[in-house]
Amino acid sequence: MPLKKHIVIILAAVFTVSCYTKEKNEKVEKLSEEKASNTFVFKSNQNIGKEKLSDYNFFKGELKTLEPGKNVHPYTLNSPLFSDYAQKARFVMIPEGKEAQYHSTEVLEFPVGSILIKNFYYPSDFSNPDGERRIIETRLLIHEEEGWKALPYVWNDKQTEAFLEVAGATKSVSWRDTEGNTQKINYSVPNMNQCRSCHLKNGKITPIGPSARQLNGDYNYTQNGNMNQLAYWEKHHLISDLPSTGMPKLVNYEDDQAPLADRARAYLEINCGHCHRPDGPAKNSALHLMASVDNPAAWGVGKTPIAAGKGSGGLKYDIVPGHPEESILAYRMESTDPGIMMPELGRQLVHKEGLELVKNWIAEMK
Amino acid sequence: MKRLFYFFPLLIFYGCNSNTEIADRSNVQWQDIEKDLQTALIMANDGDTINLPEGYFKFSKSLLMDEKSNIVFKGTGIDKTILSFKEQKEGAEGIKIADCKNIILEGFTIEDAAGDNIKVTDTEGITFRKVKAQWTGKVSEENGAYALYPVLCKNVLIENCIAIGSSDAGIYVGQSDSVIIRNNEAYQNVAGIESENSNHVEIYENIAINNTGGILVFDLPGLTQYGENIKVYKNIVKENNHRNFAPEGNIVGVVPPGTGIMVLATRNVDIYKNEIIDNRSAGIAIISYELVAAISEEETKEANEEQAGSAQRVNNNYSLDENYNPYPWEIKIHENVISNDKWFATFQHDFGKLFNFKYPFNPPDIVFDGFIADGKEAKDVLCIDQEDIHFVNLDAPNELENMNEKIEDFLCL
Repeated sequence: MPLKKHIVIILAAVFTVSCYTKEKNEKVEKLSEEKASNTFVFKSNQNIGKEKLSDYNFFKGELKTLEPGKNVHPYTLNSPLFSDYAQKARFVMIPEGKEAQYHSTEVLEFPVGSILIKNFYYPSDFSNPDGERRIIETRLLIHEEEGWKALPYVWNDKQTEAFLEVAGATKSVSWRDTEGNTQKINYSVPNMNQCRSCHLKNGKITPIGPSARQLNGDYNYTQNGNMNQLAYWEKHHLISDLPSTGMPKLVNYEDDQAPLADRARAYLEINCGHCHRPDGPAKNSALHLMASVDNPAAWGVGKTPIAAGKGSGGLKYDIVPGHPEESILAYRMESTDPGIMMPELGRQLVHKEGLELVKNWIAEMK
Repeated sequence: MKRLFYFFPLLIFYGCNSNTEIADRSNVQWQDIEKDLQTALIMANDGDTINLPEGYFKFSKSLLMDEKSNIVFKGTGIDKTILSFKEQKEGAEGIKIADCKNIILEGFTIEDAAGDNIKVTDTEGITFRKVKAQWTGKVSEENGAYALYPVLCKNVLIENCIAIGSSDAGIYVGQSDSVIIRNNEAYQNVAGIESENSNHVEIYENIAINNTGGILVFDLPGLTQYGENIKVYKNIVKENNHRNFAPEGNIVGVVPPGTGIMVLATRNVDIYKNEIIDNRSAGIAIISYELVAAISEEETKEANEEQAGSAQRVNNNYSLDENYNPYPWEIKIHENVISNDKWFATFQHDFGKLFNFKYPFNPPDIVFDGFIADGKEAKDVLCIDQEDIHFVNLDAPNELENMNEKIEDFLCL
């Protein structure tokens, strides 16, 4: 099924794009001579994607029930990314007869044709997370021959369909939190390039979440009941080369039985490590936040910033052991100023629980 | 006796900075083209030119362009097409370009981004031409860091641009190879023009006036690459006496107000035919990372005895980077005009105070911190082919014990 599609966009009264096809090097004629300077016809032969989420046939029945169809499997992560308290329903579609390849540290190698489907929703009342909900957006990562592609789909208010919005969208969302307070934000659906900003590794788009370490935990399947996800994947022939013992596991940062340092490092890995790693977009900062890094200076202890600007908050070091209040890392997690905050994208609110975790970790650090 | 000089000049010279309000935007009709422009950047085909009309346009998110080739992003001219990020809610940059090839940015003003006005990473072939990048209003620590910020790029050309009000560097290139920075103007930035950890860089025929430091050539530890082979010539570097408004924790915070050209730890830097005028603290300063680390440690100790441990770690940090050479090496200085009719170095910085104490009414033309690595000759490190220079060697390795004005070891006339 080629997803290729010619899209013609007419932008009015804005700016002009003049197109030169490199081979022919001839100017494409403007269709409208009238107001030529304010209108342009923009032909794109780029492979963008299907217009509607339902076109993919991921789900059975009513779209909003997110009832997985053939070859579509739900999954969850031990330590998920924080996205303004949005809940996520994740699915993977792996083509019939193909398998993802196991990797001990990195994200699984998914076969071409695989699609990761991440639905972002808010329960009306967080005390009843399985009750009434509003789905805001569905992000797809599609593995094509030439690599992964990220596409944002925005749900309509009727919750009957989601439409491709390459430039993203802003949606007003409100919910009752677990303490009974009403929360309200202008939720931001990323544009395609913002998707890419987070999903880059070595200059290529890659998934961030589904590594064996993240999947190594239980999921409550409709058919199978509670079951370890990797075992489920193996049972359904979704994964190859799974070792029989010694499976790595990333701790769930919300698990207060786990060691504090492991929880904090897991939190920083999923929220920061996709950029802050030697092959990530923030490599120029020399701060490396994957949980596997064992050099304290590389994950911020006594490290001076490289190009933090006002993000330093007047502080000198990323982490000062015993002093979260003097640590740039905590300062940037605590900010909502776009010139200061970390991560740069995907949140407008402070993640109170995550911040507290990281602060406690720094406070106990020797 | 000499200490007397400390007091009365303070009254006279404080507030010398011309600190003008930058670009009044109070009566502007803003237009919104955000969604369409971002869509065009996503959908652009190889070889497209995106023409921006004249007018004032405001944006709420960073404009992003990724993985494109041969795109021209073009406005109708500086101060004709204005892109404002003053009300930005998302993203730290104004425009961010990543993983592209052969991009030209030309003919517009961009201002007030939360972080950097234009950041370009991992791109081969990036030209900034006739772009003005600035922060409006009063200069402050709240301003973003870099006006123009190509990093990890190859084949960078920055020409006929203007950078104003950056709290780090106005025109900056970092961790990049093959760079030309020419015919630009930089005003009221902490660093006017800066090359950091970059190779094969030519900085010429620029004007750097009223920054904290005019032109900086830095090499920092722990990054993806080190810098060498830099030429700095035919620039006008004048009155860079602006207060240092870099937020704490940024390396450019160490630059004393009144610094013309500063070289930190970089190898093979050729500085010639520049006009280096009235930079009150030092015309040219050649320093090593040892000194920066020492200053940082000193400050930390003063601030908080308890924290000396972490400063120590900063020092260990750079010594951990085995390939990093903290000392400048093969620095050549010749045919520059260096003059300074200011009587006093800055009082806003310890080194300025030191110069005023040691050399009243005669701040140095060239300062060298005195670190010479084992097995190196003085002239291997710094070779000055100029006469009538007031030279100061800080003797930093011996705690400034024998600070002196002996230029002889460094002269290669």
